Amino acid sequence: MQYEQKNSDALVDMIDIHKHFGSVQVLRGVDFHVDRQEIVGLLGDNGAGKSTLIKVLTGFHSLTRGQIFFDNEAVKIESPHDARELGIETVHQDLALVPLMSIARNFWLGQEPTYEVGPFKFLDKKMMARESIQALADVGIHIRDSEETVGTMSGGERQSIAIGRAVYFGKKLLILDEPTSALSVGETQKVLDYTIAAKEKGMSVIFITHNIRHVYEVADRFTIIERGHKLGDFHKSEVSENEVADMIVTGQIPERLRLYEEEEEGGD
Amino acid sequence: MMQAYLDGKREASNIGMLVAGLIFGFAILGFLIAYGVAYGWVPLGERVDILRSNLNAIEHIVIVAFLIYAACCLRTAYGLFQREQSSLRWSQWMYFITAMVGGAILLSVIIPVGLKFSLLLGQDIDLRAVINEDPNVSGLAPIALSIGEALISVSLFVVGLLALLSLLVFLIPPLDFLRHTEGIRLIVTPPRKFVVAILIVLGLGVVGVLIAGIFVVPLYPGITTIRDVENHRLLAGFLFFLPGLFGYRVARQVEEQSDELRRAIALTPGKYIRANLAKSPSAGAIIGFIAIFMGFTMATDLFLEPSSVASFLSNVATKGVIAIGVTYLMISGEFDLSVGSILGVTALSFMNFMTHGAPVFGVMEPVPAALLAIFMAFVLGAINGVLLISTRIPSFIVTLGTMLAFRAITLVAIAGGRILRYSDHHESLPVIGISNIVFLALAVIGLGLVAFTAYRILPFLYRGARHAWLIREDNGDFGTTGAIVRAFAGLLVLFILLVAVVWLLAVFSYHASSGGGDIVEVGYFDLFNGRVLAIGSEGDFFHMQIPRNANVRLAIVWWFIFVVIFHVILTNTSFGNSIFATGGNEGAARAQGVNVDRVKLQNFVIVAMLTGIAAIYETARNPGVDPLKGTGWELEVIAMTVIGGALLTGGYGSVVGSLLGALIFGMLQTGLVLVGIESRLFSGTIGVIIIAAVILNTLVRGARQN
Repeated sequence: MQYEQKNSDALVDMIDIHKHFGSVQVLRGVDFHVDRQEIVGLLGDNGAGKSTLIKVLTGFHSLTRGQIFFDNEAVKIESPHDARELGIETVHQDLALVPLMSIARNFWLGQEPTYEVGPFKFLDKKMMARESIQALADVGIHIRDSEETVGTMSGGERQSIAIGRAVYFGKKLLILDEPTSALSVGETQKVLDYTIAAKEKGMSVIFITHNIRHVYEVADRFTIIERGHKLGDFHKSEVSENEVADMIVTGQIPERLRLYEEEEEGGD
Repeated sequence: MMQAYLDGKREASNIGMLVAGLIFGFAILGFLIAYGVAYGWVPLGERVDILRSNLNAIEHIVIVAFLIYAACCLRTAYGLFQREQSSLRWSQWMYFITAMVGGAILLSVIIPVGLKFSLLLGQDIDLRAVINEDPNVSGLAPIALSIGEALISVSLFVVGLLALLSLLVFLIPPLDFLRHTEGIRLIVTPPRKFVVAILIVLGLGVVGVLIAGIFVVPLYPGITTIRDVENHRLLAGFLFFLPGLFGYRVARQVEEQSDELRRAIALTPGKYIRANLAKSPSAGAIIGFIAIFMGFTMATDLFLEPSSVASFLSNVATKGVIAIGVTYLMISGEFDLSVGSILGVTALSFMNFMTHGAPVFGVMEPVPAALLAIFMAFVLGAINGVLLISTRIPSFIVTLGTMLAFRAITLVAIAGGRILRYSDHHESLPVIGISNIVFLALAVIGLGLVAFTAYRILPFLYRGARHAWLIREDNGDFGTTGAIVRAFAGLLVLFILLVAVVWLLAVFSYHASSGGGDIVEVGYFDLFNGRVLAIGSEGDFFHMQIPRNANVRLAIVWWFIFVVIFHVILTNTSFGNSIFATGGNEGAARAQGVNVDRVKLQNFVIVAMLTGIAAIYETARNPGVDPLKGTGWELEVIAMTVIGGALLTGGYGSVVGSLLGALIFGMLQTGLVLVGIESRLFSGTIGVIIIAAVILNTLVRGARQN
């Protein structure tokens, strides 16, 4: 089947995404897009399919049907490596860092800088230490010693380092998968600051959460997923925090907004 | 107190002078000991003859060490007299070292006494009667012995009874109500004071028995190989240990009293060592290695003999090579039970290719046979890896299966009880000719390596020393001393490099002068794992004869080379990084684009190929293969790796740790026999050591987490 890009010049445009695990249909024709330099809050209750949608985009799952456009080109993303090549960086909820490894080694994992001696390549440890401290400081994370192991740090500090790394390497799109679910209020605020820093660096951000309070402040637009379908896209100016929270819980679009939706559909 | 002294307060000057005087006393003592050893008054180890020019190696080391120690003490005492601030930190280190030296000297008496006395008590039932009647034994001995034994029995009885009671209350649900009564609660969780009291009683008992031993043991020399007890060392030990401990405590109190000073001193020696050990994955192995090495060295003179060292190194060299691979695999979160069987198959293939021949190639020469055998090992490792990543069965099960399956290959190939021997099929052992050009080339490569090292290190050392000299004023009171020490260190490195150059040039000229075309004939198996008889040829500038009874095998050299190479790969390449990540958090590694499956497959292949190489060594040392070759090796190798600090759950470990683990294994194997403890106790001892090492590793890692 041939797909056409719906949102011209969007950074990511996912069209008619289907994902089945055996007979279980997790995604049933979701359209999802992210504009350039935009923070999108991807919302939905537990099990709504938002994580699956993201795992399709980052190459963990292959899609059953549908098409992804990235940077106006139809792409096939088959592994996390492919996604990285495109410029997509992801911070997973619990798969962010290796606790027994040092900050510098975690920071560079998978793309270590090396220098060559004849045919052999060795880690450039000095550069790893210097650059990781510098890069983290750039997004406002100050660490004492890049040789410290990640296991000694608190949950918030770990999340900060994972996000700092993603901002440093992410060229175009940063995906945060439930980054604030295990954090205190103060730490959550820091994560939101990093998100804005990423946007100011020219990246787009997908912020996945089921708690609207964590994202309402920074997001430009909300996409709500409900049982494998998209409930709708809402710009921040259109909805209040409480309306979004109601939609996530009830799965119903309020009367006032339903009109909006139809108008938009008509305008298409 | 010390701070007040350094500030120039008059009322503190007495204690300050005392502490400085103590260190000055240590300096004198150190010089005296060095002098005594140098003039043969204090013989250490076995002497060739009593001429003072014939000092043995240990004595040379001791003399140099004590001279350095005494010089440091002098410098520190001078600093304290001058009221220099930084001398306080130095004094801490000097006290710390002094206490350690004293403790070591005391242990060198206590360990042999304890071992020998317990063996005597075990062997001679009438010893007690002998002690009571022998007029040579001081009357104190029987009293100390009976009091000591009584105290030990009482404390052990109390501890055992309490442990049993609390265990019963815990085990039997109906007794649960007892747990809440006052008396039982005290038993289950005894107050700290009580525990300390029991420990003191136990300690006193041990001291009592040791006192008896010190009187008795010297009267019964020669029944074991344990070192003869030299009681005069006790005095020296106490002279160092007690003042050292006292001074260290005083110096440490200073740190706790003053905030300003805490910044200046930052770390006491104890904390410094603990913090640095906690950084290393093999901390437990390092501590265990030092303890076991010191223990055996002190217990028996035979342990440091070249023959013993060579024998334990040769014994563990092949297993050590496999342990490197198993460490890699364990860090990546898997392990391999099939290495013993892979070793058997590889050894068998190697031998079979040379005697009966391979299907296509016929009877093969040793080199191609070895290569083909290692390729066999590669295939077996790949089978393990592919099974694991394609089925996702835990590696325990996969390799348990392949362990049995691969063993079947050797069992079927060699009919029951037979041994496949090289000598049954060939008249003489294989020999290959090595052209002189090879030696010349090796010498040139060696010179190149030395030149490269010099190019990288020397300017760095020179600049460091010059910088230290230029800023010696800013570096505080010890700036000048530090700069001089750095300069000396640089000169030492330069000297070592020069020695290497001279040696290599000698090798080069020797082989160049005897005509370039000469062929040196080398026994083929000797090249893999031959006996090293001497370094350099007779008449060479650096000729060194290895004692006749020392069985030094070439595999030791290969082993150390492998350790260096694989250590560098693990810690300094992105492949090493992905191994750690794969075992530490597989999901995170995958998310960062590490190909986890490939890393695991690579590691299985590495283990198998290292096992294959080890099999070649084994066969070269003893050219015969039986069907059960390598049985049980897998668990020994895993034990070495675990002692070396690798986590069974993955993500943590080091190649150096596996080296230390293998060395600990080998030292125990040889040392226990030398001390005269039954070799049947070996596996029991290893068991205790494994558990102790892992507890130690966990404690150290805990210290690191905090």
